[in-house]
Amino acid sequence: MPATVAGKPVNGPNKGLFQNTAGFSTLITVTVLTLAWLAGFASRLFAVIRFESIIHEFDPWFNYRSTAYMVQHGFYNFLNWFDERAWYPLGRIVGGTVYPGLMITSGTIHWLLHTLNIPIHIRDICVFLAPVFSGLTAIATYLLTSELWSRGAGLFAACFIAIVPGYSSRSVAGSYDNEGIAIFALQFTYYLWLKSIKSGSVFWSICTALSYFYMVSAWGGYVFIINLIPLHVFVLLIMGRFSQRLFVSYTVFYIIGLLLSMQIPFVGFQPIRTSEHMAASGVFALLMAIGAMKYLHSLNPKGQWKQLLIVGGLVAAALVFIMVVFLTYMGVIAPWSGRFYSLWDTGYAKIHIPIIASVSEHQPTTWSSFFFDLHVLVCTFPVGLWYCIKNVNDERVFVALYAISAVYFAGVMVRLMLTLTPVVCILAGIAFSILLDLVLKEDEIIMTPSEPEESRNLYDKAGKVKKRTQEPPPPADAVLGMNVRSGTLIAFMILLMLFSVHCTWATSNAYSSPSIVLASYGNDGSRKILDDFREAYGWLSQNTAEDARIMSWWDYGYQIAGMGNRTTLVDNNTWNNSHIALVGKAMASNESAAYEIMSMLDVDYVLVIFGGAIGYSGDDINKFIWMVRIAEGEHPRDIHEADYFTERGEYRIDSEASKTMLNCLMYKLSYYRYDSGGSPPGYDRTRGSLPGNRGFKLTYLEEAYTSEHWLVRIYRVKKPDEFNRPRIPLAKRTIPTSNAVSKKTSKRRKGLLKNKPTIVKGKKVGRLE
Amino acid sequence: MIPAMAKITFSLAFLLCVIIKCNGVSVDTISDDIRLKNVDRHIDISSQLVKITSKITLENAGQKPAKNFLYAVESTAKNNLAFVGVKDNNNRDLRLVETTVKGHDGVKFWRVELKEPINAASSLVLTAESVYTKSLLPYPTAITQQEDQLVKYNGNLYFFTPYPVTSQKTSVAMITKAVESFTKVKPFSQQDGTILYGPYSNTGPFTEKELSVHYKNNSPFLTVTRLERLIEVSHWGNIAVEEKIEIEHTGAKLKGPFSRYDYQQDHHSGPASVRSYKTLLPASAADVYYRDTNGNISTSNMKVKKDSVELDLRPRYPLFGGWRSHYTLGYNVPSYEYLYHSGNEYLLKMRVVDHIFDDMQIDELITKIVLPEGSTNIKINTPYSVTRLPDSLHYTYLDTKGRPVITFTKTNVVENHIQDFQLRYTFPRILMLQEPLLVVGFLYLLFLCVIIYVRLDFSIHKSEHPHKE
Repeated sequence: MPATVAGKPVNGPNKGLFQNTAGFSTLITVTVLTLAWLAGFASRLFAVIRFESIIHEFDPWFNYRSTAYMVQHGFYNFLNWFDERAWYPLGRIVGGTVYPGLMITSGTIHWLLHTLNIPIHIRDICVFLAPVFSGLTAIATYLLTSELWSRGAGLFAACFIAIVPGYSSRSVAGSYDNEGIAIFALQFTYYLWLKSIKSGSVFWSICTALSYFYMVSAWGGYVFIINLIPLHVFVLLIMGRFSQRLFVSYTVFYIIGLLLSMQIPFVGFQPIRTSEHMAASGVFALLMAIGAMKYLHSLNPKGQWKQLLIVGGLVAAALVFIMVVFLTYMGVIAPWSGRFYSLWDTGYAKIHIPIIASVSEHQPTTWSSFFFDLHVLVCTFPVGLWYCIKNVNDERVFVALYAISAVYFAGVMVRLMLTLTPVVCILAGIAFSILLDLVLKEDEIIMTPSEPEESRNLYDKAGKVKKRTQEPPPPADAVLGMNVRSGTLIAFMILLMLFSVHCTWATSNAYSSPSIVLASYGNDGSRKILDDFREAYGWLSQNTAEDARIMSWWDYGYQIAGMGNRTTLVDNNTWNNSHIALVGKAMASNESAAYEIMSMLDVDYVLVIFGGAIGYSGDDINKFIWMVRIAEGEHPRDIHEADYFTERGEYRIDSEASKTMLNCLMYKLSYYRYDSGGSPPGYDRTRGSLPGNRGFKLTYLEEAYTSEHWLVRIYRVKKPDEFNRPRIPLAKRTIPTSNAVSKKTSKRRKGLLKNKPTIVKGKKVGRLE
Repeated sequence: MIPAMAKITFSLAFLLCVIIKCNGVSVDTISDDIRLKNVDRHIDISSQLVKITSKITLENAGQKPAKNFLYAVESTAKNNLAFVGVKDNNNRDLRLVETTVKGHDGVKFWRVELKEPINAASSLVLTAESVYTKSLLPYPTAITQQEDQLVKYNGNLYFFTPYPVTSQKTSVAMITKAVESFTKVKPFSQQDGTILYGPYSNTGPFTEKELSVHYKNNSPFLTVTRLERLIEVSHWGNIAVEEKIEIEHTGAKLKGPFSRYDYQQDHHSGPASVRSYKTLLPASAADVYYRDTNGNISTSNMKVKKDSVELDLRPRYPLFGGWRSHYTLGYNVPSYEYLYHSGNEYLLKMRVVDHIFDDMQIDELITKIVLPEGSTNIKINTPYSVTRLPDSLHYTYLDTKGRPVITFTKTNVVENHIQDFQLRYTFPRILMLQEPLLVVGFLYLLFLCVIIYVRLDFSIHKSEHPHKE
C-alpha cells in the first residue's frame, strides 16, 4: 500500500501544490503504477515461495498441458489436435473445444524469449503469467477509471485491483487459468469502449473490437461484454442520449467484433445462432432503425416527427424482439444453455444439471465472502456509484450498469465474484478520490471557519455509506476544519492499511495453496509436505503401460493426463454428461456390476482419492453423493440416491450405513485393507468413524499402488482369466474321455477330422495323477 | 574461421578414431614361456555386480625377458564385462591394449604392458580386477511383495587364461548364508557367506567349468538405464552440473498386488524393494536440486560432509522389481577447482561420470560439456575409450553465435569408471567483456530511443492544446 499513499497528492485536478507540471504528475503516475504492479506481482508469489514453481489445481493442468503441446508442435497442429488421451473411447478435439488465448499468450512469450536466447521453461512462463497480467490489469483499470473520473481515482483503483483478494484468488502464481488474462482483457475492452464512445472515432471502436477479440479467445466470460455493451447502448437510447458518436462506435464495434469472434473455432457460429448473443444483434438493429429515423427527422425537423420517432423506436424494438423469439421458436437460434439459464434461476442447476451444481465454485455466494474478497471496498463502492449516478454522463451510465449487473451475478455464483471485483475497485477508487479531494483541497484555499456539522456529515457518509446514500452529499465546495480533515485522513489511512493487511493475509492463507502439494504443520512448527498426488501420478506415468486407461472421478482427469500422462475416461471438461454418469454408476454399483461397466469401457486402472488416513476432507467418499446423483440422472433404474443414505436420511460410512453404500465400488476401493490411521486401527479421520464394512476381499480388482499417506489409491482391473477361478480338486480336472466316446453311436462316428491328431490314450491322465 | 576450426577438430577426431581402430585390430600370439604359478581369485557377488579380483603370480619360464602378457575373458561373459584393470605389485595401473589371437575368435584378449619386463625364471605378482554387470539373474524372475529375491550366478570355476596354471583358489563371497544351491567340485568348503574352492592344481589354458551359485540377494538391483550429464562451464566462476537420470529396478519383478498396509506395518516387507539410496557429490557442490517433470521431489535430505556432499535420495515411490523412475539432479561447483588456465589456454579436468549410488551400473552414459562462447581448439582426452558424438551448439542467456558442446557416450559404466577427463581449449579472455557490453549497448539504445521519442513530435495532426492532459 505505499503505492496508494504515494498516489494521493496527485489526485484531483488541483494545481500548484507541487508546481504541478505534466512531467511531475506523469512521473508519479508511472511510479505508482509500477509499484502497484510490483506489489501485485509480489503478493501472488506465496505459493512459489512456500512450495515451488508449480501449476495448481485442476484446470490449469490442462491449460499447461495444451500449452506445452502447442509450444512443441506449433500452433496449427495445436488447432488440429485430437487428444486421444481424454474421454476414452471418444477422444476430444482440443483445438475446437478450447479458448486458445491463454495458450497463444504464453506460447508467444515463450517464443519471444527463446528468440532472444533466454531459455525459460514453458512451465515457468505459465506459472508466472497470471501475476504478470495482474499488473496489466492494474494499468487497464487505471486507464478505465481515468476515463470515468480522474487520474487520482485511477491510481487508487489500480492499487486496489493489484492486491484485492477477489482478483488474486484467480491469479496467484501457478493458477494458470483463463481468468488470469481475461480480467485484463475485460478491463481493457471496457476502457477502449468508453474511449470510443467518448470520441466517436472509428479508430477506438476498432481497437475495442480487437481487444474484444482477444477476450473472446481467452475466456467464455466474453458473453458478459457482448451483453453489457448492448445494454449500455440500449439504456442510453432509452435515456434519449442517442448521438452520432454512439452510433459510430457501436456499429463499428459490433460488426468487427462479431466477425472476429467467429474466428475462434470454439465460438464458431454461436454469435449468430444462440440466445446469449441475440441482445447484441437486437440492439444493433434497433440502433440502425433509430439512426434511420433520426436521419429522416433531420430532413424535416418539425414537431410531429418527435412522436413518430418514439413510436417508430418502440415498434422497431418490438419487431426485433418478436423476430428473435420467432427464430428461437423455429430453432434457428439455440435457446439459452443450461449454464446461462442457471444464472437467472438459482435452483435450476440443482434440479436439472447436477454436474454444475456439484462444483463448489458454482454455489451461491455467502455474505461473508463478499467481505472476505473485497474488505473495505464493498462498503465504499456504493459511494462511488452514487457519485457516478449523480454526475451522470454517457460513460458513467456504463459503469453503473456494470456495477449493478456484476453485483447480481456475484450473488448467484461464487465464481463470478471475479467480474464484480474490477468494478468495485473502480468505484471505490472514485469514492476515495472524492474523499481525499475534499480533505486535502483546502491547503491552498484560504481558511474559512469550519462547519463541524457539515464535515461530520461528510465523514459519516464515507464511512457508513450503506445507510445514508439517499441523502444528498454536501456541496463540493464545503470547507472543513483542520482537525476534522486530519482526523478523516488518519481514519482512512488506517482503513486502507487494514485493507492491505487483509489482502495479504487472505491471499496468503486462502488462495495460495497449490492443492496438489499439501503441507501439514507439527506442534513445533516444523513443516511436513504431503506429496501423495505427485507420488501416485508419477507412479502411473512410469509403471503402467503407455496406453493404460485410468478410471477416476472427473475432478482428477486433467491431473492424470497432465502429470501421469495416461488416458482418462472423464475429465474436468465435463462435456459429456452420460459418460460421466457411467463412471459414476460404476463407482456406485457393487463390484460385479462395476466390473461389467469397467470391462465395457476397457478400464485398466481405477484411481480413487481417500483422505481418511490424514483427515483430508476433499476426498471421493465426500464427493460420492454427487456421483450417485449424476448417475441417477442417467440411469434412474439402477441407481437410487436414497439407497445410499440410512433410513433416517443420514450419509454415513460406519456400521449403520446402508447396505448399498457398504458394498459399492467406491466404498470398497477406499477402505480396502485400510487398517492404519489413528486408533483404533482403521479409524477414518475425515468422517470421524470406524468403517462399517472391513476385512473384505476384492474379486475383480487388485491394489496396484497406494501412496504414502493413503491419499491416492490405484487399483488394477484384473483380466477375465485372473479372477474368480474356482478351485477344482485335482480329480475333477481330468475329463473322462472314455465316457464321451461310449455315448456316441456308430452312425455318429462318421465325422471326419482334417489333420487328425494322434491321441495317446491315457497319457495325460497318468501325468496329472 | 570457426567452421574451419571445426573441420580441423573433426578431422583430428577422425584421425584419432582411425588410430584407435588400428590399434584395435592388432594381433598377438600366446607366448609359451609364461605360466601362472598361483592364482588367488575372489568373486564378490554380494551386490548387483560381479566383481572379480585375481591375484596372479606370473612366471617367465622362457629364456627371454617378457614385456607383456595376455589377459583373457571367456566368450560367455565378455558382453557383460564393464571394466577390466590390472595393477602391479606397487599398485600402479598397467596399460591394457585390446587385441585378438588367431584361432580364438570368441575370446576377448587384452595385452597388458608391463612397466619392467620379467626376466627369465623370475616371477611377478599382479592384481587383475574385472567388473561384470547383469550377470546375476533373478531366479525366480518374479516374486511377491513379501518374498526375498533369489539370484543365480553362473561363472567359471577356473581362472580363464591362455596360460597353464599351476595352482589356483577361488572364493565366492555373497555375505548371506541363505544359499539354495551351488556347484560342488572338491575340494570346497562353505563358511558363513563365503564358498571356498580349491586349491586346484595344474589346469590347462582356456579351461572352463561351470560355477553356479543360487542364493538370496536383497541388495538393490538398480540400473541407470540412461544418464545424461551436462557440464556447463562459465568463466565467471561457476560450473553447473545437471544429471538427467532414468532408473529401473532390474531385479525380480513384482508379482501380484502392492499392499501399502503390509509395507507400512511390517518393516521387513518388500525386502527387495529400494526405498532410498545415497548419492555423493563433490564437497564444494552447492544449490542442489532434485526434481522430475512434475516438479520438486520433496523426499530428500542433504548432509554436507568434510570431503563430500551426501544426498539421501528417496524416489517418489519405493522401487519394486520392474518399476521405473526418472529425475533430474543438478548442482553448482566453483570453477577454480576444476578449471586451470595460463593465458588464453584453458584446461578443464572433471569426472566423466559421478557417483549415483554404491555399486551402480549405467547402461548408457551421455556426457555433454558446454564451453563458453568463443572457445576454440578443443581437444579432449578421456581416461578410457568413449564414442564421441558430433559437436553441436547451445544457446543460452546473451549468446549470439552459440556455445560449443562436446558430446560423448559410453555404454555399460560402473563405479570404476569414475575418472577424470581433460579438456583443453583456447578462449580469448577479451571475449569476457562481450556479454556486459551487450547489456550496456541494449540499454543505451533503449534510452536513446526514449529520448528521441520524447523530444520529437511524431503526430500528423498538430494538437490545438499542447498542454492539455
